[in-house]
Amino acid sequence: MASTLLLARDLYKSYRRHKIVIPVLRGLDLDVETGEFLCLVGASGSGKTTLLHVLGTLDRPDSGRILLEGRRIDDVALAERDRLRNRVFGFIFQFYHLLPELNVLENVLMPEMIRSSVLSWWWRRREARRRALALLDRVGLGHRLRHRPRELSGGEMQRAAIARALLSQPRLLLADEPTGNLDARTGSEIVRLLRDLNREEGLTIIMVTHNPEIARLADRCVCMTEGRVEAVSASELPALSS
Amino acid sequence: MYKLLLSWRYLLTRYLALASIVSVMLGVATLVVVNSVMGGFAEKLRDRLRGLQAHVMIDARSADGFANLDYHMQRVREILGDRLEAMSPVIEGFAMVEYRRREYTNFETGSRDDPVNGVITGESPPVVRTVRLLGIDPASRSQTSEFAQFLQNPENRKDPTRCFELRGQAAEHHRRHFLRRFGPTVYAPKPHSFPVSGAEGDGDTPPPPDPVEAPPQLVRPFGAVVGHGIATFRKPDAKSTDTDRDIPIIYPGDEIVITTVSRTQLEGHAGTRGHPRPVSATFVVTDVFKSEMSEIDSNIIYIDLADMQRLRTMENCATSLQLKIRGYEHYTPEQKRQLLAELAQHFDETFFAIASWEQKQGPLLAAIAIERGLLNVLLFLIIAVAGFGILAIFYMIVIEKMRDIGILKALGASNSGVMGIFLTYGLALGLVGAGLGTMLGLVITININEIERGLSALTGNDVFDRSVYYFDKIPINIDPLNILLLNLGALAIAVAASVLPALRAALLHPVQCLRYE
Repeated sequence: MASTLLLARDLYKSYRRHKIVIPVLRGLDLDVETGEFLCLVGASGSGKTTLLHVLGTLDRPDSGRILLEGRRIDDVALAERDRLRNRVFGFIFQFYHLLPELNVLENVLMPEMIRSSVLSWWWRRREARRRALALLDRVGLGHRLRHRPRELSGGEMQRAAIARALLSQPRLLLADEPTGNLDARTGSEIVRLLRDLNREEGLTIIMVTHNPEIARLADRCVCMTEGRVEAVSASELPALSS
Repeated sequence: MYKLLLSWRYLLTRYLALASIVSVMLGVATLVVVNSVMGGFAEKLRDRLRGLQAHVMIDARSADGFANLDYHMQRVREILGDRLEAMSPVIEGFAMVEYRRREYTNFETGSRDDPVNGVITGESPPVVRTVRLLGIDPASRSQTSEFAQFLQNPENRKDPTRCFELRGQAAEHHRRHFLRRFGPTVYAPKPHSFPVSGAEGDGDTPPPPDPVEAPPQLVRPFGAVVGHGIATFRKPDAKSTDTDRDIPIIYPGDEIVITTVSRTQLEGHAGTRGHPRPVSATFVVTDVFKSEMSEIDSNIIYIDLADMQRLRTMENCATSLQLKIRGYEHYTPEQKRQLLAELAQHFDETFFAIASWEQKQGPLLAAIAIERGLLNVLLFLIIAVAGFGILAIFYMIVIEKMRDIGILKALGASNSGVMGIFLTYGLALGLVGAGLGTMLGLVITININEIERGLSALTGNDVFDRSVYYFDKIPINIDPLNILLLNLGALAIAVAASVLPALRAALLHPVQCLRYE
């Protein structure tokens, strides 16, 4: 039986703009099992991206608890949050967010570089490079190592972003509309890649999407409405997207 | 590791930051040039001042000097013992010099400035000007200071003891144009028998020499070494590249008349009170002195101490004792003070002023140091302006790189790590700017004279007026420690200017950055 990797309880998060409080998460509960491929769907502004940021320690909830394998992570110190983002969570964004000054290989190596001092990088660089090359081969970018992001297509950039997210061997991959900026064919290729990673390597994935076709590939879908989640079945998905 | 990589990439790809590099570079280059040139001037001036003076001067407060010179010199030897390397007595006073500008035309070559082979074809009315007259003993003077190296006649530089003797071409010139023309009567040559103007009527004044009794070959003329600024006249509109800027007025071998005052006698001759009286004598210019210090060269005439003593009735007197101290360069300030105190025990401060050369020239050297310090402060403002440029550009880069900052934070970069990227970037800008600036500054400094000549030729004006210092070229002194400090200062400013933008980048919220459009 699969264990719970991540557990969120009673999460509240609101933003304040010009003295106006905008509630985004309103008492959200969510359980994510280890090895699960979970899809988050919901209308724009329903709080999907905010939830990913809060779960991935990029942001703090106003109240509520987040537990990673039974350990609270919502109230840990800044340095520990940095460490979690570097080693436990992997992020993929809609707009890829590769660093334009670095080539593909350097972008993929970035999490390892962030972790290392100059000296420790010197010792670990060969091993890191070996892993990065393997990942780039896995995502089909083994031939574009020295290319800058601007020289890649959208699909290639997203593949590079996936390889970067996987370099630290994360426990949980948080993908925020990874296909949102891609055509249907490239988008399904990316999702197939994620699906394979989930099935073959047991990687836990939470993916935000608006595409019901893609959402159907997930183990489970949850729909976000007004800052809360409710489980939906695959048959309900077309209705959601509309 | 990522800090180094990203700051390096930012340095290579953000061309906007080149503006900051250029500002830092120009600021550092200017500082290097100004410091090297001012350092060169200060060092040259210091050398010149040192070269012209002894280590320690014992000056009589009265222009009449002090009597019993031998006794005082003996006392100095006793006090200082082995520490005394050389000692030279001097009589200094003001005088009027009278000369005529003569035109020596050589009809064969057409030259009008050929005193050896030409004939006098023109003569100006007498020109009179005030000078400082120094009676020196050339032998000991050459030991206490670098007097000899400033003499223009190479023979005199080798053997300065004969610098007041007519030699070589000067002797030939004098023989042809003065002995033949006026005969030897112009001299007042016999010891204790010079003509003292205004002394007529004093009963015990030695009678003027009988010119008939003085055979020319036995007569030693009074020799005088004249400052280059007195012996020549500089064309007011001359450029530094002109070779004939200095027009000779007085040639070695020419005769000049020097008028000064006699010593005040306690008892006047024949019972009268002995006020200073004007005394004149004719001198033959034996050499020209060029120290490249305009103040010295255009005001000083050296004559032999013995001649000065006779002229001013100051036998066994001097106005100053110049001392050279063995190993003085290695003396600590305390040792120097101790040395002066020892001398002060013998020389009553009521009548003597005892000072080291640093004390005498201290205000001048201090003024140069202050000028240099002020210039450094002003020029560092240029780098401070460059620093504000870095600040503004970095702020723009932080805004431009907002998403990247968000990505880095999402990948686990800490706030201090993000701050480190921009601080390292600032340091890199400073390093490149300061490095290029140092190279540019050194290239300009090393070629400063060529650049000055080019600029002078281009503008038609003298950029560096050599008449002020008589330096042949702009002196430079490249001090590595000074350049290192300048670079460190520039780096500090560059890093300090990047602190605020770096802090802003560090404190950005990652979600805010990722959502930034």
